[in-house]
Amino acid sequence: MRLAFMFVVLAGAIFYSYVAFVDLSFLSRTGRLGPGFFPRLVGVFAVAMTIWVIVDLLRDQRPEEDDASSWVDVVKLMVLALAYAVLLRLFGGFIATVIYLAMTLTVMNRGKYLQNVILSLTFPAGVYLLFDKLLNANMPPALFSFLN
Amino acid sequence: MDIFSDLMMGLSLAITPINLLYLLAGAMLGMIVGVIPGFGPSAGLAILLPVTFGMDPVGAIMMLAAIYYGAMYGGTITSILLNTPGESATVASTFDGFPLAKNGRAGPALVMQAVASFVGGTAGVIMITLMAPMFAQVSRSFGPPEYFLLAVMGMLTLIVMIGQQWKLGIISAMIGFALGTVGVDLETGQGRYTFGSAELIGGIYFIPIAIGLFGLGELFYAFHQGTHKTGTGGIVEYDKEERFWPTKHDFMSTRMTMARNSVLGFIVGVIPGAGATIASLMAYSTERSLSKHPERFGKGEMAGLVAPETANNAASSGAMIPLLTLGIPGSASTAVLLAAFLMWGLRPGPLFMEQNPELAWGLIASMYLGNMVLLIISIFAIPLFVQMIKVPYRILGPCVIVICTLGTFSVHASFIETYLMFAAGIVGFFMRLYGFSPAALVLALVLGPLAEEALRQTLTISRGSFSIFIERQASLWIIGVTLLLVVGLPLLNRFGKSAGDAENVGS
Repeated sequence: MRLAFMFVVLAGAIFYSYVAFVDLSFLSRTGRLGPGFFPRLVGVFAVAMTIWVIVDLLRDQRPEEDDASSWVDVVKLMVLALAYAVLLRLFGGFIATVIYLAMTLTVMNRGKYLQNVILSLTFPAGVYLLFDKLLNANMPPALFSFLN
Repeated sequence: MDIFSDLMMGLSLAITPINLLYLLAGAMLGMIVGVIPGFGPSAGLAILLPVTFGMDPVGAIMMLAAIYYGAMYGGTITSILLNTPGESATVASTFDGFPLAKNGRAGPALVMQAVASFVGGTAGVIMITLMAPMFAQVSRSFGPPEYFLLAVMGMLTLIVMIGQQWKLGIISAMIGFALGTVGVDLETGQGRYTFGSAELIGGIYFIPIAIGLFGLGELFYAFHQGTHKTGTGGIVEYDKEERFWPTKHDFMSTRMTMARNSVLGFIVGVIPGAGATIASLMAYSTERSLSKHPERFGKGEMAGLVAPETANNAASSGAMIPLLTLGIPGSASTAVLLAAFLMWGLRPGPLFMEQNPELAWGLIASMYLGNMVLLIISIFAIPLFVQMIKVPYRILGPCVIVICTLGTFSVHASFIETYLMFAAGIVGFFMRLYGFSPAALVLALVLGPLAEEALRQTLTISRGSFSIFIERQASLWIIGVTLLLVVGLPLLNRFGKSAGDAENVGS
């Protein structure tokens, strides 16, 4: 997993450097340092360092001490968080938060139905009052206008 | 007398009902965030930054500073009652804080940590008051070459302090620099890495990345570590104890500890990259070696709690010096503060105190008040924070995700930034898991554009010659100090860590 993550970083660093060398010029038309100067430095350095770390990892192939059970809840939480991002776009701040909390608490805080229902309703209401009324901040609008 | 009249001017600005309310709210919110395991000042600042947007700059900056040191105060409560440090700067406080609580002295320990934090924080602010104008004076002659070197110094010291994983620290910094280059190049007007997207023309905004890395990333990491399963079963019930208040002996025996470690903490805090964690570990170790009863350390010695608490709060004040006078943040939390300043159109640095005396002195003055407010809150609101600790992480986690998400959206009403925050959260989790440094990334994201601009200006002045860096006296001084820090900081780090390790083994 660690190695896979490093390869993702390497791919990102190579792509970044590629754009820096192909699309961005080192010098500007006036002969000053151009927009590509700093990205090229950063890109080359990032690629070199990432390769160094990958080589180190390949040399030192110790099995990763990773318990699969520790991943279950964190993956669930991530998936639910991504679902929340989608829900926000569709239903707007308040309703999406109610649905998200109801889903997440059902999964994470099992069996405590009453507590979960109360929290799923009161917490979004509190946050709505804080952001929308007290701080006059933006809350995500719903895609369906009748929900706004 | 100049300093005194400046401070009075700052106080007159800070003491308005609305600003005091912001200060109180900031201190309270900071403490609440600090109490949550895994969440320290950087997470607190990043998550709560959007809350300050509707305010005037003085009020907003006062509130942010209060959140910053409020989180520092709050982190210790879990160290004492639960043996779980809120973040790394309060690890040393568990060594004697938890044994004290187990010995039936949780009440006195909680009060003494508040007093120690107050003394450290206030001594730190006094030293800021005296030293910031001096630093600002010295750095007034700085030009683009010095700014570039200062940014390099800030990055290098942070990476050096990472220790063994320094290569991953450099990669983290490169990712931060890379993100900082997205957007229109200010000198030529050419788009970089925008890929035709209108949303990216203005660059990648700092807040979603900081909230994602420090808020969501830390939360995912805590779930991976199983924090949500452990619960708070081991919490010490302090309210059943006979005596809540410390004895006269507690105060008298630790008065020199507080004095010593206020100075030590402040000095370590001023050094970029060193920060509160190293300060607290060094303070603990120094105090144990100076003590007449070193054998009592780790078993519930009050000086063992007071020393790191005084030092970490003095260090967080010390860290404001390079931020305010040089414009370089020495840590992730001061990087978030710097980003907040930049958002308000303020550029901390040599001319900051001269050009914005109201803001600079208003902020310093508010820190005196903030420490007083925190002393009161952290003693009288202990029952509230204990209730907070008792909220299971599995419930707290989803609620924090909601706050992070809606907070990010509220800044620019942008769904793209909200998605970016989620992406940063997932990347931040893996970074944390595999030993990368989210702090270095955030620092580089803030410093990158400043460093690039300064470097390009420098090379334009020198017509492309790098020798400008050794021709200017001020640059040479900065290079000298940087080299000194790069060599000296690992030793400091090792000293602090060995103190921590010895204690862990001992207990």
